[in-house]
Amino acid sequence: MKKCIACGMPMREPSEFALGDTSKDYCVHCARPDGTMQSLEEKLKSMTAFIVRTQGLDGQAAESAARSQMARLPAWQGQLREG
Amino acid sequence: MKIKGSGEKVKSQRQQQKERTRQRLIDTALSLYAREGLLATRTADVAREAGVSHGTIFAHFATQEALLNAVIETFGTTTAGRLHELASQGSSLREVLQAHLAGLREGESFYSRLVRESRMLPNESRQMLVAIQSVVSHHLCAAAEREMKEGMIRPQPLHLLFNTWIGLLHYYLANDDLFAPEGSVLERYGEELLEHYLSLLAP
Repeated sequence: MKKCIACGMPMREPSEFALGDTSKDYCVHCARPDGTMQSLEEKLKSMTAFIVRTQGLDGQAAESAARSQMARLPAWQGQLREG
Repeated sequence: MKIKGSGEKVKSQRQQQKERTRQRLIDTALSLYAREGLLATRTADVAREAGVSHGTIFAHFATQEALLNAVIETFGTTTAGRLHELASQGSSLREVLQAHLAGLREGESFYSRLVRESRMLPNESRQMLVAIQSVVSHHLCAAAEREMKEGMIRPQPLHLLFNTWIGLLHYYLANDDLFAPEGSVLERYGEELLEHYLSLLAP
């Protein structure tokens, strides 16, 4: 089973892939409306906002959690591990 | 060509062997962490239990922390996979909670330790627990938002809805010696906690 390279979500159903296209390596939540993958900055911002909204963490703590989470994913590993 | 072919085969078998050993170390560490605690378990204990030399551990994991992170990641991937499999898109809140409990039951002893020791873990390891909770909150909040819209549960902030559930579970898990000294807390109380939680959300 494929896992989204940008957020790690398992992708089984076509509806879980960007644009419903199972050849894509990223999921529907990591795609922009035109189907391209969100940038590192966009993903960091949306993941941080998601953690604040659903888990209630402090903004800074949420961003650091999001950054650490993203650093383990193939799409961002190189950029975030070095930075 | 044959030589090259057989050379490749040998290399691939070696690779497979390496992956098997890595997996065995992760499985051994997970059961030791569950039994003895994450911080109390030393890499030498894992090596002894797995029947390998101490050096073998470091051939696979650069540091003790890397081994710990690999174990948390494996646990997180299994839990996320279970939740994703049991609570598909469109599942009810009850189904998501049941799937969460079922996933945790499979690794309850390890998860209890992880919850109890999280404040004392290295930063990256601790962040991985937040990552696991993000998967849970993704499924739980999607179902809750749908049910709030349909008037099936009372409208409320998502983070409080999520933290109320996690807080309840973690309180029982962190004190498992008081709630279920000889068995599984989730097996004994899971259903009761789930019903109580849902009753709090009822309109």
